[in-house]
Amino acid sequence: MELSATIRGVAYRFDSVKDVLARANPPKSGDDLAGVSARDAVERVAARAVLADLTLAELREHPVVPYEADELTRVVEDELDAAAFKAVAHLTVGQFREWLLDGATTGATMRAVAAGLTPEMAAAACKLMSNLDLMTVGAKAEVVVRANGTLGLPGRLSSRVQPNHPTDDVEGILASTREGLAYGCGDAVIGVNPATDSAESTAAILRALDDLLRRNEVPTQHCVLSHVTVQLRALQLGCPMDLMFQSLAGTEAANRAFGIDVALLDEAWATMKAKTSNRGPNVMYFETGQGSALSSQAHHGADQVTLEARCYGLARRYRPFLVNTVVGFIGPEYLEDGAQISRAALEDHFMGKLLGLPMGCDACFTYHASMGQDELESLKVLLGAAGCCYLMSLPVGDDIMLNYQSTSFHDIPTVRRLLGKRPTPEFDAWLAARGIADGATPGPRFGDVEVLR
Amino acid sequence: MSRTRALMTALRARLGAAEPLAPPPPLPRVEAPPARVYTPRREASRFAAEAARHTTALVGIGHVGTRYATDVVLQFQAELAVAHAAVAAELPDDWAEAQGMVPVRSRVADHREFLLRPDLGRRLDDASLARLRQRAPRGADVQIIVADGLSAVACQGAGKALAEALRAACQARGLTVGALVGAKFARVWLEDEIGQELDARVAAILLGERPGLGTGDGLSAYLVYAPRIGKTDGDRNMMSNIHARGTPPAQAAARLAALAQAMIAQGTSGVTLDLAQVDGGAELGVGYRAPQVRQRLVEHGGGGGAGGAGGAGGGGRRR
Repeated sequence: MELSATIRGVAYRFDSVKDVLARANPPKSGDDLAGVSARDAVERVAARAVLADLTLAELREHPVVPYEADELTRVVEDELDAAAFKAVAHLTVGQFREWLLDGATTGATMRAVAAGLTPEMAAAACKLMSNLDLMTVGAKAEVVVRANGTLGLPGRLSSRVQPNHPTDDVEGILASTREGLAYGCGDAVIGVNPATDSAESTAAILRALDDLLRRNEVPTQHCVLSHVTVQLRALQLGCPMDLMFQSLAGTEAANRAFGIDVALLDEAWATMKAKTSNRGPNVMYFETGQGSALSSQAHHGADQVTLEARCYGLARRYRPFLVNTVVGFIGPEYLEDGAQISRAALEDHFMGKLLGLPMGCDACFTYHASMGQDELESLKVLLGAAGCCYLMSLPVGDDIMLNYQSTSFHDIPTVRRLLGKRPTPEFDAWLAARGIADGATPGPRFGDVEVLR
Repeated sequence: MSRTRALMTALRARLGAAEPLAPPPPLPRVEAPPARVYTPRREASRFAAEAARHTTALVGIGHVGTRYATDVVLQFQAELAVAHAAVAAELPDDWAEAQGMVPVRSRVADHREFLLRPDLGRRLDDASLARLRQRAPRGADVQIIVADGLSAVACQGAGKALAEALRAACQARGLTVGALVGAKFARVWLEDEIGQELDARVAAILLGERPGLGTGDGLSAYLVYAPRIGKTDGDRNMMSNIHARGTPPAQAAARLAALAQAMIAQGTSGVTLDLAQVDGGAELGVGYRAPQVRQRLVEHGGGGGAGGAGGAGGGGRRR
């Protein structure tokens, strides 16, 4: 295996596949912070040239965290589909990129090989792609899942209503939820990040949401995003729960910092399959985001794009209904500005879809990142065009508990109209019946909360 | 006729498009559109008024097509500008000295590096370490540090008042308090090195928190028992949203002093501290945020009159 390349007579040599993957990354402040990024733009291209000649089989043999040291690596390796892997194992990363972009390669063919791909392969292809490459392949890759609604169908763009409240005031949460529904948002999930991580408050919020959704016959699902152990206790209290949530990171050590491991996630999934209040079959919801492993010093010298792909390698074990990357939430020390945040959003969407996940994105920034509102609005259109399954939605995009800026209730119908997208078929029919939408355009009751009882 | 033009003409003829373009249809005549104010003040909506009793989220704001009314856009942009201005502000180098504090700074060189290198913001530079050894007495029960964190605006606003209130509240409980230290380009963990150097039993850093929409003046406090380099977040107790519309500084100081005393009594802090044994302990849980009232920031004209979202009152705010 040759890990060197020459550009204008200068030879560039790399220590390991992990090193090549890291230095091939486009600039990210988090890779600088980890000390793994390329020294300059030319070395970055040299790393990409080396990467383009590695085969997928070689990548499988060199995961960025060793098999013996990490249960995520073991989950991926032990569950890899042999036939699917065999079909693409001989391709170099450069050839794999071309195969993905080829017009003859459809969403169905990509789905057929997804189970044979390791996260490192998805990350490697990502590093050889421009933003439009990522969007082209992302838009082809279709992943369809079902709970009460059917998410990810072609021509659809869904949204999560995120009615967070700094003290979990249930009336305040319901006010934001009603407003969101009246704007045609919420077909992916009504998902609340609780201020208090207790089973009682998790159950109380879920019961209130369940009442609202049943009373108005809304075809969607609910979720309270407390820790998975808290949600398991809430289930013992006998509350409804359509989806179970957990944040994931890309290494075993980083997940320990989150208070989870594979055994706990297995238990959560098994419990939900038995107890979920949704029609199924998909019952889990995961969130990820570049930089989470480094923030707990559990990155093993790997770059944040590859580590993000490893989250998806774990997530697919649980056939989730939703996965989203909270792309700009972690702060400028990992993604400094609008260009880095936008690039990361498209990367994460591409890698997740390629690995077979129904990817959404929380297109967002914190107020200390160098990103403006116009850039954020542009990113939502890029994501919609790239076939992103769902975006977030909040009143004016402002999270009054978590203090960051995301997508607004007004943005969802705007992006749908610009791109000719519709919500899930079940939700679409409900919007029409309530007069909130009239086909692809706003209906007579659009934005009118009185439409909800 | 040139060869190219001849080719084009032949092509048009073959496509049946030899005729010139039909003239465009006449443009519609625009009558003066009605001057409208879409969804005026939120108090006009019964739903918005009812919701405002429970949440500061901007609901009931209406829409123009699928977008915001102009008034909503301006209010939103003002809130965003306040947050960005708070992040961009820098603590003047002479601020701490002028406040009568011992001035220190982290190893960070400039504001951009401060945002990108949290590791450097957690350690003192050499000159600061020397100054601390020379000017700050050692061995206090509680060592208070006032710092910029992610909002120098908040630090310069209520930072000193909160520090002095905390000092008085600690002394009232019989605790000794070291000289106030003022830190620039500081992250939370900088309290570990300062507390270790001054051999304090508890270190308390009061610093500007990451601004939210329309709020750049919030302070957070992080307390740690037996401060040492290498302490983690799990070793700390914190309180956020300290400002006039959240938890006022005087009230916050009283709770923080109770927390410091409990740390010394129990000999620990963070996840192992028994909050049930602290006065008012239930409210000191990690991450607790008091709700804050939303202010209307934009008023047209210079009057700064009353009225506003959620009936908050208060006119255009200036800094």
